[in-house]
Amino acid sequence: MVAFIVRRLWQAALVMLVMSLLVFLGVFVIGNPVDVLISPDATQDIRNRVIAQYGLDLPIWQQYLHFASNLLHGDLGRSFVYNMPVSQLIASRFPATMELAVIAVLLASLIGIPLGIYAGYKPESWTAKVIMALSILGFSVPTFWIGLMLIMVFAVQLGIMPAGGRGETISVFGVPLSFLTFDGMRHLILPAVNLSLFKMSMMIRLAASGTREVMLTDTIKFARAAGIHEWTILRRHVLRLISIPLVTVFGLELGSTIAFAVVTETIYSWPGLGKLIIDSITSLDRPVMVAYLMLVSLMFITINLIVDLAYAVLDPRMRHGGGK
Amino acid sequence: MTAPLLEVTDLCTYFEARTGTVKSVDGISLHLEKGEILGLVGESGSGKSITGFSLIGLIDKPGRIVSGSIKLDGRELVGLSEPELRKIRGRDIAMVFQDPMMTLNPVLTVLDQMTLALQAHERISDADARLRAVEALRKVRIVDPEQKVDFYPHQFSGGMRQRVAIAIALLHRPKIVIADEPTTALDVSVQAEILVEVKSLVAELGISMIWISHDLATVASISKRIAVMKAGKIVETGLASEVLRTPSHPYTQSLLDALPSRSKPGQRLGAGANDIDGESAARPIAAAMADPSFVAMDGLVKVFEQKRGFWARLGERSGLLKSKKPVLAVENVDLTIAKGEALGLVGESGSGKSTLGRIVCGIYQPTEGRITLNNSPVMSAGPQPRKLTTNVQMIFQDPFASLDPRRTIGQSIAEGPIAHGLTSKAEARSYVAEWLKAVSLDPAFADRYPHQFSGGQRQRIAIARALAMRPDVIVCDEPVASLDVSIQAQILNLLLQLRKELGLTLLFISHDLSVVRHLCDRVAVMYRGKIIEVGTAEEIFDAPQEAYTRALLNAIPKLA
Repeated sequence: MVAFIVRRLWQAALVMLVMSLLVFLGVFVIGNPVDVLISPDATQDIRNRVIAQYGLDLPIWQQYLHFASNLLHGDLGRSFVYNMPVSQLIASRFPATMELAVIAVLLASLIGIPLGIYAGYKPESWTAKVIMALSILGFSVPTFWIGLMLIMVFAVQLGIMPAGGRGETISVFGVPLSFLTFDGMRHLILPAVNLSLFKMSMMIRLAASGTREVMLTDTIKFARAAGIHEWTILRRHVLRLISIPLVTVFGLELGSTIAFAVVTETIYSWPGLGKLIIDSITSLDRPVMVAYLMLVSLMFITINLIVDLAYAVLDPRMRHGGGK
Repeated sequence: MTAPLLEVTDLCTYFEARTGTVKSVDGISLHLEKGEILGLVGESGSGKSITGFSLIGLIDKPGRIVSGSIKLDGRELVGLSEPELRKIRGRDIAMVFQDPMMTLNPVLTVLDQMTLALQAHERISDADARLRAVEALRKVRIVDPEQKVDFYPHQFSGGMRQRVAIAIALLHRPKIVIADEPTTALDVSVQAEILVEVKSLVAELGISMIWISHDLATVASISKRIAVMKAGKIVETGLASEVLRTPSHPYTQSLLDALPSRSKPGQRLGAGANDIDGESAARPIAAAMADPSFVAMDGLVKVFEQKRGFWARLGERSGLLKSKKPVLAVENVDLTIAKGEALGLVGESGSGKSTLGRIVCGIYQPTEGRITLNNSPVMSAGPQPRKLTTNVQMIFQDPFASLDPRRTIGQSIAEGPIAHGLTSKAEARSYVAEWLKAVSLDPAFADRYPHQFSGGQRQRIAIARALAMRPDVIVCDEPVASLDVSIQAQILNLLLQLRKELGLTLLFISHDLSVVRHLCDRVAVMYRGKIIEVGTAEEIFDAPQEAYTRALLNAIPKLA
C-alpha cells in the first residue's frame, strides 16, 4: 500500500511538471497581454516599462523558470486585470463552484443510483423503461438548452425561482456558503439540477447495467437460496458489487464539474471559477489562466488518487494483493 | 411406511422462448427419505439443475413450474407465494452451487455473508451471529475458524471456499440440501476430501441431500440411490450399485460405455448415436516408435516474476517493502517424447502442467533450459525470442474462447496455413474442407460462425485448425475437461484415430487420470513444478512408486 501511494505521488509530480510546461507554453503562444494591459496610445517608453515589469522581455525559458520557481513557493502570480494575487482571486471564487459541483454530483448519485438499480433489477417493467428512456434524453439534450428551459419555466413563467446569482450566503469558517440559507438554496437549486442531469443519466445507466449483470450471477442465486430478502440482497450484495465503477465516475464527475461548470455558471451568472476562467480568457489574463489550469490538473490527480484508494476499501481483493 | 420427506410428482418446469416452449423439466417424479443422499445424474441440458431450482422455488422468468407437485413433509410447495417460499429457502431447503468462486460475494467477509443468511430467518445479535458462524465453519472442518470468519472469499483455496458455502447452507440446519455439481470445479484430491466430509455431515446432522452431477463416479460414491435424467425426464432410478451394474435404460448404458475408466485403454468408446464413423483405432505400440527423443525438454525452468517499478524495487532494497517472491512454475524438467507417442501430463491445478505445455508449444519462453523438436530448437534465443517452428500446435480447454467469434470457422482454420504458405488463398477452401473432413465435420460448415456449433463440434474445429498447420506434435491442454461424457468420448475416439492415421505425437495435459490412462502410452506426474514420476501408463496406474501419485490415484471416485 505504501509503495502504491509513493508510486502515485511520484507519478503525480511528473504529471504536474509536464502540465506546467504544456500550460505555460500553450498560453504563451496566444495573444500578447501587453495590448490588453495598456491603452493603445501609451508611449513606447511606458510600453517598455510595463513589459519589463511583467518580465515579458525575457527569453521564454527564463520566464518559465521564473514561473516554476514562484509556483513552488506557492506564488501563482498576480492577475493582470484584477491586479491582485491569483491565489486570492481563485480562493474567493472556489467555494461557489465547489458548492454547486458537490450538490450537483450528490443529487446525481443519490437519485441516479437508486433509479438505476431499480431499472436493472426489474428491466422489463414499464417504470424501468421510462427511467432508461429519460436517461438517454439526459445524455443527449445539451446542457445549455436545459438550463435555458429551466430558467424559462421556473424563473420567467412561474416566477418561483431566481434566474441567476448566488443569493444570500452564510460564512462558515470564513467560507461563504449559500446552501445554508433559504434564499441561497433557491438560487442554488436550478443550476445544481441543470448540472446534475447529465451525470444522473450516466449514474442511472451504469447502475442499471451493473445491477442487471450482478443479478444473473451465482452470488445472487446463492443469496436467494439462503432465503435472504430481495431488499437486503440489493442493499448489501448488489450495491457493494456495483460500487467500483460508480465511485470512479463519481470522482471523475466531481472533478470535471468543478473544473468545467463553465456553461452552467455562465447561464446562471454563478460567481464561480467557470465564469472567472471565461473572463480571463477574453481579457487574456495569463496568470489566471495558467494558475487555473494548474489547479485543475492538481485536483484531478488528487481525486484520482482518492478514487484508487477507495477501490482498496471497496474491494478486499486489491487490499490483499489479489487472489486469482 | 410413512410418507417421504420430499415427494415430487409429475413436476413440469417450462421456459417460454421466442422459438417455442422449452420443456426443461418434463414430468419428473422422485422422493427423498430422511437422512438419504439421492444422486441426480445427467449431461448438460438434461434439466437436472432446473430440477434443483424448481425444488427451491427459484425459477426465473420466462421459466415457470406449469404443473406437478412438490411436497415437503406433506406441505405443498408449488403455488406458494414468494414470501412463503423465501421462508422455506435456507431454513428448510438449502442449496450449494458448482463454483464457490462465483457463489460467495467477493467483497463481503465470510462473517458478513453468514450474518445476512442468519438474519434472513431469525433475529440474532451480532455477537451471537459470530458465535454461530464460527461454529458453522468448525463443523465443516475449517481450521482456526475464529480468525477465518473475518476472511474474504479470495483468501481461501477452492476447496475451502466450497466448505464455506456448505457451512452457509447448513446454518439453519435445513431438512434438505441440494448440491448442484459441488465438486466439479475442484481438484480430485480436494473432491475426495469433500465427498467424505459431506457424507459424515449428512449422517451427523440427519439431513437429506440431493447431489446433482454429470459425473457418474462421484454420484455413485456418495449416494445410495440415483436417478438418471435425460431431456427433462428421469429415465431410470434405483440403487446406485444396481443401476451401474445392470442399467435397464439404454441411455444409462451409453453413459457408462462412454467412460474411459470402464473400457480398455485405447479402445474405441461408445459415444452414443451421434458418434462419428471410423474403425476401431487401437493404440499404437510404444515399442514400435523410433526416435525416442523427438521432443526433448532439457532442464526447463520457468519463473514468473512480478513486474515492479523503480520505486517498488527501491523500497524492497531498502527493506521498507516486502519483496514479492517470483513464482517458480516449472522447476528443472527433463522429459522426452518419442515420435508418435502420446505422453500424458497429470497434476492438480497449480502444478505447472499448463505452463510446461505452453513452453513446449513455444508460447512461453523458458527461463532456463532448452526445448527441441527433432533436434532443432522450438524457440530462438535472445531477448525477443520467436517461435521457430509451426510443427507444434496447441488445443486449449475452452474451444469457444480460442476461436474468433467474428470469423467463420473456415477463415479461422485457413489463416495459419495461408500465412505459412501451406496453402494458397485460392485453394484455401478445399484445404479447409479436407481438414474438416478429417475431424468428421461437414465441409459445408466452413461458412458458419463458432456460436453456431456445440461444445464438442467446436473442440473438433479447434483440432482441425491445429491439424491444418500439418504439425508433428500437438499439445492438448485439458481438451475434454469442459465436455459431457458422451462428447468427451467422441473427442477421445477422434484423437485416437488421428494418431493412428497421421502418426501424431501428443502431449496430453489433463487432471482426469482415467482419460489419460485411456489415451496415453506414457504418463508424467507433475507436482509443484517438478516431474515426480514418469513411466508407462501401466506402471503409473498399476504400480505407482511415489506417495503423491498413489494419493492422486486413490482420490479418483470409483464406480461400484
